[in-house]
Amino acid sequence: MAALPRRIMKETQRLMQEPVPGISAVPDETNARYFHVIVTGPEDSPFEGGLFKLELFLPEDYPMSAPKVRFITKIYHPNIDRLGRICLDILKDKWSPALQIRTVLLSIQALLSAPNPDDPLANDVAELWKINESEAIRNAKEWTRRYAMDN
Amino acid sequence: METDYQDADSDMDCSDNDNECFDVYDYYNVVDDNDMEQIDPSQTDPEHFAYDCLTEVEVEQLLNESVASLSNSLQITPSLAKVLLHGHCWSVPNIVMKYRENASNLLISSKIKPPVTPTPIPCSRYETCPVCVTQHMSEKFYNLSCAHMFCKDCWIMHFEVQINQGISTAISCMAKDCEVLAPEDFVLKHLIKPNLREKYQQFTFQDHVKSHPQLRFCPGPNCQVVIRSNEAKAKRAVCSQCKTAFCFKCGMDYHAPTDCQIIKKWLTKCADDSETANYISAHTKDCPKCNICIEKNGGCNHMQCYHCKHDFCWMCLGDWKSHGSEYYECSRYKENPNIAHESVHAQAREALKKYLHYYERWENHSKSLKLEAETLDKLRLKINQKVMANLGTWIDWQYLFVAANLLAKCRYTLQYTYPYAYFMEPGPRKELFEYQQAQLEAEIENLSWKIERAETTDRGELENQMDIAEKRRTTLLKDFLDV
Repeated sequence: MAALPRRIMKETQRLMQEPVPGISAVPDETNARYFHVIVTGPEDSPFEGGLFKLELFLPEDYPMSAPKVRFITKIYHPNIDRLGRICLDILKDKWSPALQIRTVLLSIQALLSAPNPDDPLANDVAELWKINESEAIRNAKEWTRRYAMDN
Repeated sequence: METDYQDADSDMDCSDNDNECFDVYDYYNVVDDNDMEQIDPSQTDPEHFAYDCLTEVEVEQLLNESVASLSNSLQITPSLAKVLLHGHCWSVPNIVMKYRENASNLLISSKIKPPVTPTPIPCSRYETCPVCVTQHMSEKFYNLSCAHMFCKDCWIMHFEVQINQGISTAISCMAKDCEVLAPEDFVLKHLIKPNLREKYQQFTFQDHVKSHPQLRFCPGPNCQVVIRSNEAKAKRAVCSQCKTAFCFKCGMDYHAPTDCQIIKKWLTKCADDSETANYISAHTKDCPKCNICIEKNGGCNHMQCYHCKHDFCWMCLGDWKSHGSEYYECSRYKENPNIAHESVHAQAREALKKYLHYYERWENHSKSLKLEAETLDKLRLKINQKVMANLGTWIDWQYLFVAANLLAKCRYTLQYTYPYAYFMEPGPRKELFEYQQAQLEAEIENLSWKIERAETTDRGELENQMDIAEKRRTTLLKDFLDV
């Protein structure tokens, strides 16, 4: 495998030295492009109190291509589907090589605080979020309690 | 390059001379041409469509003319002219007008300039590239009009990744939220690998043709031809190379009198209802009189049961006697007038019945057209037999092929009247449409019957029938083809 680009080394160093509050990202022992991520559910959101595991992978042409990110912990959210795939513009067409792992994870955390049911990935969740928000929030809290706590 | 072109030209000259010699003797064609000049087809033929089939080189020339004209009148690089033309439907006058009104607005909305004027960059000997976080000499840095500086290697990598994803005219600056586009000269200055340069130029060419309102790629498989027309209308274009016929506006199979949106809706519906479609596409029906099972293997809807000799219509299974002479109603769908008061189930059943009515007719004509090759084979066989039996010469019988071609053309139009009728609101216009459709259908069936049973070389009656059928077809198109 080719040597790790300076850019990735710098980013990893900075993630270790000045971690983002509420987010931990640790590179895998055997693969420096694979990160184990834990995001804490933001305050005043239905995900509060939960610890959500994600995986993040930096592809060969990173940073020219966006990192691949996926939720491992089950989550009830209109922009995240059953396989944990995330609908977020900066992971797709709005990616810029000037963005970083740090900014991506912050955007994901922000997505937990502000779900966007008008641009859904999980259709059934988005539907309920629009017609009966209080029930959808109840479901999200229930899932957070069931899957994202006591681990 | 120059010499190559000259060689090609001198080759062309030779062949032109050859043709001229030929033309002198070809006086029949000259006479024909003079006859044709009297009629203006755009006035008489509702399907008339003027277009050219261009090669890649010719399209390149056409595009470059616009680029040169714009870059001359605004005094900008050809590369920026391309960005502007691509974003403004290749309309030079429109761009020049907008430029005179407010040049800055135009350049910002075209993503040539950033919305905010960039702050001057500090000049030191070394800079750190924000993408690769590596220090380089400041000469190694490049930027677009937005002044976001990145090192040369990162720009190259960025372009490679974008091009490999099929992106060319839409490659933008690498900075976050910056939408300024990288013009062609900037990209090509950095791209070194020949295969990537080629790919990039191929993709930009495709993007430019797609954004040009007068140009369409021929939809034929592996066909490189581009069709050009001044009017972007839903009319029939036929590729000069691969002979694919298609609608110039939407690129699908030609679909007059139905318009592009309706035919799309119809085809989606047909695909969705494939189960029912499968069910109906069972090819057999029973004779309404003796109930023997009949498979239809020819074009005509006038069926004669080989068993009991009963004449009936394949579509509605009604007695043919009422078809030929009296008011022809087989193509019309009769809606239940009390449907609004019926139960939901009955309404659903009625909706399905209505769809099946139109679908069956659509599918039936489509199948007839697919059998065209066999019909022609049968004609060939028949003509052979007649000639062998000393009934006329081969030349005497050729009129049957002309008739069969016309029949296919009429049937094609008739096929596309059914989606049109399906989506029409009930009312006098629909009644008129269905009346004309029925007339066309009746004449087509007459023609089909007469072609199959032509026993003599006396073609007067058949030619009369051809004329009637084609007149019905053009009348319907004149009244309802709205493009």
